[in-house]
Amino acid sequence: MYIRAEYEKREQLKYISHLELMNTFRKTFRRAEIPVRYSQGYNPHIIFSMSQPLPVGVIGFHEYFDLELKVKKSLGLIKDQINKSLPSGLKIIDGVFIDKKEKSLQAVVNTAIYSYEMSFSSEAVEQETILNDFLNEKKIEITRFRRNKENRMIDLATMIYNGRVLKDNIWEFTISTGSSGNVRPQEVIRALKLKTKGLIQEIPLVNIKRLGMFVRKDGRLYKPTNKEVLKKEVNKS
Amino acid sequence: MKVRDKIYNKLINVSKPERYIGNEYNIIKKNWQKDSIKVLTAFPDVYEIGMSHLGLKIIYHLLNKEDNIICERVFSPWPDLEKLLRKEGLPIFSLETNRSVDEFDILAFTLQYEMSYTNILTILNLAGLNFYSSQRKEDDPLIIAGGSIVSNIEPVSLFFDFVFIGEVEDCLIDIINRYNSLKNKGLKKKDILKKMSKIPGIYVPSLYDIDYNNQGVIKNIEPVDNSIKDSIKRQVVSDLDQAFYPEKFLVPYMDIVHDRAVVEISRGCTKGCRFCLAGMTYRPTRERKKKTLLKLIENILKNTGYDEVSLTSLSTVDHTQIKELIKDLTAKYEDKKISVSLSSLRLDNFSVQLAKEVQKVRKTGLTFAPEAGTDRLRNVINKGVSEEDLYKAVEAAFKEGWSTIKLYFMIGLPTENRDDLIGIVNMVQTVLKRGKEIKKKANKSMKPIRINVGISTFIPKAATPFQWEAMIDKDKLKEKIYFLRSKLNRKGINFSWNDEDLSRLESIFSRGDRKLTDVIVSAWEKGARFDGWGDFFDYSIWLDAFADNDLDPNFYLRERNMNEILPWNHIDMGLDPEFLKKEYDKALKSKLTPDCRFNRCKGCNICFNLDIDLDVVGNDYNVYKS
Repeated sequence: MYIRAEYEKREQLKYISHLELMNTFRKTFRRAEIPVRYSQGYNPHIIFSMSQPLPVGVIGFHEYFDLELKVKKSLGLIKDQINKSLPSGLKIIDGVFIDKKEKSLQAVVNTAIYSYEMSFSSEAVEQETILNDFLNEKKIEITRFRRNKENRMIDLATMIYNGRVLKDNIWEFTISTGSSGNVRPQEVIRALKLKTKGLIQEIPLVNIKRLGMFVRKDGRLYKPTNKEVLKKEVNKS
Repeated sequence: MKVRDKIYNKLINVSKPERYIGNEYNIIKKNWQKDSIKVLTAFPDVYEIGMSHLGLKIIYHLLNKEDNIICERVFSPWPDLEKLLRKEGLPIFSLETNRSVDEFDILAFTLQYEMSYTNILTILNLAGLNFYSSQRKEDDPLIIAGGSIVSNIEPVSLFFDFVFIGEVEDCLIDIINRYNSLKNKGLKKKDILKKMSKIPGIYVPSLYDIDYNNQGVIKNIEPVDNSIKDSIKRQVVSDLDQAFYPEKFLVPYMDIVHDRAVVEISRGCTKGCRFCLAGMTYRPTRERKKKTLLKLIENILKNTGYDEVSLTSLSTVDHTQIKELIKDLTAKYEDKKISVSLSSLRLDNFSVQLAKEVQKVRKTGLTFAPEAGTDRLRNVINKGVSEEDLYKAVEAAFKEGWSTIKLYFMIGLPTENRDDLIGIVNMVQTVLKRGKEIKKKANKSMKPIRINVGISTFIPKAATPFQWEAMIDKDKLKEKIYFLRSKLNRKGINFSWNDEDLSRLESIFSRGDRKLTDVIVSAWEKGARFDGWGDFFDYSIWLDAFADNDLDPNFYLRERNMNEILPWNHIDMGLDPEFLKKEYDKALKSKLTPDCRFNRCKGCNICFNLDIDLDVVGNDYNVYKS
């Protein structure tokens, strides 16, 4: 029996790493006495996996994890138990039971929406125009910096699906994430900086928020808990 | 605006920002009431080191359980945050409510390592406080210290208003309340300190005058007037079983050094290793009952969610109920995948069998500490184990399936000669050889045998029988390390050792006097920070700091005359001075002194001086006694 949970990671907790977050959840499950299942072998660990990591410094509003349970319990009860045992800044919002044959989160989640608190080198900027020009580009090439590997050129054009100006200085981009094409959130800003010849400036990661993670299917976005995404119907009680 | 609101988003620019966010599960954030007593506990090292320290956890929870006391935490900022705070003109802040030090009544340092002394100054400086107690203002917070190295606190004594000598959990709350009531009466700090100095265990350094002769050796240590006690007696907890112990441990996000539930099963060790500061200064042995421990462990695991519990003590397997305790723990927690770890093992089969029992859930490496390379030298240090003991223990371990063994040795010990070094080489090679033989015969597949050899440099410590001994020369030390490295440089053996200069500096402080205070300040001003961390330590800064203050490091490394007045002469750890001399004498003759738990009293006189008894809980012990 698996549960797919939707949670948020906010406030100071934006500074904890993906690994630290995983360990925090593991300890929380034990504090909450959730009937988790352990792996076999010399170093047993809770069977538990998460969607694509958030960069350190970035808040996330709709993040996901899958957790295997030994016995079925009511979703509401599990959610309450976990929430009571989480540190402030982490909260379970929703959850569904899923079949164990479902694809993993890392395999299905392929899209993320980020918001950006923008920074411009001059005050009078036509934000809408700049954005539309950028989205209409056929090629958006930037250098990807890779740890312990050589840098390489990548084209973001096909991996940026959408963008809009939410309000003054706050922009939003829908971009590809995961194994079939991954855009790092800061790369969008670097590309904008290049295209606008420095009118748009780089911003620190704390100016970026991940608004949600999605499964993009036939041009539409679904939450990974949506029954359109899940192969098998499982009752929600 | 709070400090962190100003710096909050800038933390993205420093390494490991999670060190500074607080917000751990079980954090205690109290309402900031005007008449509460506000205590800020400080640990002069980074978060992940400080959060692994048991004493700090005890104090934090002990104080916060009092309604009228608020206790928060601060750790040393890594140099990148220090730089950022200076650039932004911001002070250091507490993790709980992000307040600056001047909002607290008391700043209390926990000291456990000499090489963190410069970090004390960073915290004081970033709080806008003067380093020297004598130069601080009337309304500055009271700055105090305690910890495991107070047997000689002199090199940093002038920074503190007072220092507590010994185990504080039985009297800390009274001390804090006493200070508060004196302060509320409107007394001057000077008068408050004089009154506080009457409390057992409280050492007010400014109330002792120290005279030196023209060689710099101490001529006299004397209280400033005859109302002040001549010496400060170490305080001890008489009933450890009933002593306060926290159950709602903070749960850090970071992977801290000891990231597990920790229970202190006993305190003190009477094995009598002559080099060991803790063994001499935490006497006598006091144990917690199995029943108490099981309850503590249950609550701590429930409150933290840890999957590992460490049974900690100076000598874990010597607890008189250890076997039953481990049996009960494994029966209770094996299904919950909670593993038990032992903080130290003896060199015997009993230890290996216990380790086997506890590592059913998760198997980690095994560590043994023979400490020296020959039976002769092990007798000098009163280790009292033979080469055969080691081989029997490691063979048992290999047969139980362990493939990685860690061995600890010391070099630079008193009377050490070439045979002792050859002894280390032989022991390590024999252990490797026996491991390989057992692997060959083993039915199931075993990982390749690995021996990790850790070599540390012997440092003579105050309040041990070796307090008069000279620190080994740098050249000799280098030679010894080179010899061992060249002989042990082979497949399957991993070799690590201490930095020679770092050991020297630690040795200087271990037996240093008050004149070193100025040296520490000079070194800090020249940029010394985190000296215990290899990447920051710069011995040339320290040599300059000594030169600036016309002091010679070698003065502090030399052998001491038995009649010399030592800088820590007025700090009474409870040990009879004659006992230390006798033990030193026996060491030179390589004669053993057995453990007083199972023999008659050996005359350290702790029990008499501190009015306390050995307190062991197991039945086996009582059989011995009768």
